[in-house]
Amino acid sequence: MTNKDFKYPPLNERELGLLFDEVQKTTPEISKQFLERLQNQAIEAALKKPQIAIAPEERPLFDRLAKVLAQARGWLPRAGLVSAMFFGVLLGFNPPEFVLDITTAFSQMERLSDLVGLSDELGFYLAHT
Amino acid sequence: MTIFDGSLENSCTDDFLETIKSHRDEELLARFSNGDRAAALALTSRLAPVVFSQAFRILNDRAEAEDVTQESLLRLWKAAPKWKANKAKITTWLYRVTFNLCIDHLRKSNRNSGDVQQEVVDDTPGVECNLQNKERLQALRIALETLPDRQKRAVILRHIVGLPNPDISEIMGISLEAVESLVSRGKQALARTLAPQKKALGLEDD
Repeated sequence: MTNKDFKYPPLNERELGLLFDEVQKTTPEISKQFLERLQNQAIEAALKKPQIAIAPEERPLFDRLAKVLAQARGWLPRAGLVSAMFFGVLLGFNPPEFVLDITTAFSQMERLSDLVGLSDELGFYLAHT
Repeated sequence: MTIFDGSLENSCTDDFLETIKSHRDEELLARFSNGDRAAALALTSRLAPVVFSQAFRILNDRAEAEDVTQESLLRLWKAAPKWKANKAKITTWLYRVTFNLCIDHLRKSNRNSGDVQQEVVDDTPGVECNLQNKERLQALRIALETLPDRQKRAVILRHIVGLPNPDISEIMGISLEAVESLVSRGKQALARTLAPQKKALGLEDD
């Protein structure tokens, strides 16, 4: 606080409000020509980017696969991928006998531990600890 | 027909423009990103006047306010393709960009013109009302420059631009209580700074 502050009482709320109102009153309208210029720029900017950037998570699955394939350059990796897919499908529809034996054995056992013959020992151990 | 030959109204039908006017800013911006002319027109017609008046109230200069308006909108068009719906409201984002650009302009102009000198105010009776208004504005702007930066920003956004406190809180990245406190302290400081000019500014007679 200085002597100056005591000499002049500060402006009250109403007086400050009058000053602020002055600013609000003197704000001009935007000019028509300027607005048209901005609209032209906006249209130009909109037409420059006709395609919207889709976020990666919104990409369809096939787009992603295509991207992976595109990244695997050359015919060799692509041929590998295609043949792996082909054999996978073939095995699913018409499995050879040895594959069938394994899957049948699995489906007939109740637990994985039966397959390796640990069932009884494990049961005994769990019951006495 | 080209869209740059001054026949903007012809590029979109009135009905379509009317329909699109009812869309939210965010929807229009998404359409804008897809190259929609009507959305570009609607967004500009809606946002440009708001941005311009904010810039003018801070800068008090038409040419500078137009520069800032143009720059703010160009930044929005650039940001449009990456705009996320859950991001801040477009108007709030624009207020922040515009405000920062205005502050940069003020800094540059102060640097170029040296320190702001307080004009001697003639308090002879019979001074024209218009002149007194200009003097009031000038005095207020000089007084605002004496405030600490954060107080100045809060007072400008609240009382010059006329934004509500929640918007100011978002723009400045501070709590509502902090905004209220900054505005209150800023106004007290202004009231003290302007006190010696009260009579010259014709405030005692109002």
